Amino acid sequence: MQTIGVLGFGSMGAGIVDLCARAGLSVLVLDQSQERLDAGHRAIGEFHASGAARGLTDPALLEQVTARITGTLDPADLAGVDLVIEAVTEDERIKADVLTRIAAHVSDVCVIASNTSGLSVTRLATYVSHPERFGGLHFFNPAQLMRLVEVVRPIQADESTVATLVAFAERIERHPVVVKDRPGFLVNHLLIPYLNQAIQEYDDGLATCADLATAVKLGLGYPMGPLQLLDRIGLDTHLHATGVIHADTADPRFAAPVLLRELVAAGRLGRKTGSGISDLEEPR
Amino acid sequence: MSEEVIQNVAVIGAGTMGSGIAITSLLGGHNVCLVDIDDQRVELGKEQINKFLARSLSLGKMSDADHAAAISRVSYSTSLKSARDADVVIEAVFEDTEVKRALFGELDAICRADTLFHTNTSTLSVTAIAAGSTRPERVVGTHYCNPAPLMKLVEVVPGRRSADAAVRRSTAYIESLGKSVVMAKDVPGFIVNRLLVPFENDCIRALEAGRADVETIDAAVTLALGYPMGPFRLLDTVGLDIHYAVSMSLFTQLHNPRFAPPPLVTQMIAAGDLGRKAGRGFYTYEQKLAFGA
Repeated sequence: MQTIGVLGFGSMGAGIVDLCARAGLSVLVLDQSQERLDAGHRAIGEFHASGAARGLTDPALLEQVTARITGTLDPADLAGVDLVIEAVTEDERIKADVLTRIAAHVSDVCVIASNTSGLSVTRLATYVSHPERFGGLHFFNPAQLMRLVEVVRPIQADESTVATLVAFAERIERHPVVVKDRPGFLVNHLLIPYLNQAIQEYDDGLATCADLATAVKLGLGYPMGPLQLLDRIGLDTHLHATGVIHADTADPRFAAPVLLRELVAAGRLGRKTGSGISDLEEPR
Repeated sequence: MSEEVIQNVAVIGAGTMGSGIAITSLLGGHNVCLVDIDDQRVELGKEQINKFLARSLSLGKMSDADHAAAISRVSYSTSLKSARDADVVIEAVFEDTEVKRALFGELDAICRADTLFHTNTSTLSVTAIAAGSTRPERVVGTHYCNPAPLMKLVEVVPGRRSADAAVRRSTAYIESLGKSVVMAKDVPGFIVNRLLVPFENDCIRALEAGRADVETIDAAVTLALGYPMGPFRLLDTVGLDIHYAVSMSLFTQLHNPRFAPPPLVTQMIAAGDLGRKAGRGFYTYEQKLAFGA
């Protein structure tokens, strides 16, 4: 495996591109405009700069990484890559369109993976020719810092596809876990009900936001409180994620709490808007 | 209500939690009397306390003088009457509402009118336990985490009849021991168990459903969520029998299926796979370390 094709140079795409380049792989990254390609390059530069400022990243690394990354606007340029990772907008129609187009350019045995966090990988596989070479590769944000990668096995995938994705994840120094293609895969399937419950308990007056955080940090060793985590994820992102799973499963653990809907309606989306759930005035 | 300084503490129940709570009070400089119903139980508690203090001494966390002083401040008894002089009585007996309620009834005839009563329940109603006392306004829930001497968190839970002054005094006392207090509503599981138990059950159900195996789920949780231990490693440490009891207690009160212990737990208990203490649970262990019960 020498050259990786990445579709989409947004924040997840940039993280994945950076990881591949750090591991010595050449990366061809496709996006729709030069502006988006430039933005992706900038995001990688900023990530390295902030790492270097904190003494965590070798400042010389950025130059080596940049030299291995080539941006393109033409899907035909990806014809010779060994693996394609799709990281475009989390929308089935957009992903379907990009995947169908790219499958026509790469070889029939080139493994194609989607970095979807919420869509059915089995359904996405139907948009490519030879769907047995398709799988999910779910990175966590920021990809450079989060070691876990969920390798999602759709119904159509053959063993060599899964093996290729596992080997690739290890090559870029991630920890792959192979999981079934079920809504939320593994991590979101376990995390989202906990977050929904925390929102509802908070709304029901179990404890203050600060005390909920102290309890899980000191009692369970969690790195942060549930409501602070929600503000970091983004309440709209969480509402979308839980809504998709609820629509697919009708599992009540994934029903969006009323307070969550209200906060999103009010434009309080968390850290990115400057206010969210963890800064609600108490007592309400 | 008296705002006098707390000097004398009586801990009722010399099991793991009771002994651990006794140690936290001892380290706070208080006189502690540890009470249980027979010599054998008291002796086990005494061993646990002595072992902890000896280890603190050998690790250099405690001076010889402090060690000697702590030993001199602790007494042991098989009679509830020893709680007579206590400023605070901390109950840590078997997790059963009737047993705890009866205990507070007995303490009515023994303790001073200004004694503060703490109940260390993890899943039961503080209000129901306090109703066994003729002074429910002086009863407050204080849930310590295990092991109590090492874990910083204590959940303070006012019952329906708890007086504000009693809650304030209890909080001040626990904070004086170097603990961090969070205030929780008197609902089953308070904060920690109410959030932890359904999460663990969700993990067990994901395993039952074949989403991934034990090692994979533990790796996913520790790496993606930053939790210090995967759910199955934690369940083995706590003990499957304890998890079942806590889970069932919460489910019985809440009727929410997330709290119901999944069939795999019942099956593992039937097979004797109780976790670390049995040498086998979700993982197998070479040494049968008793921890966490």
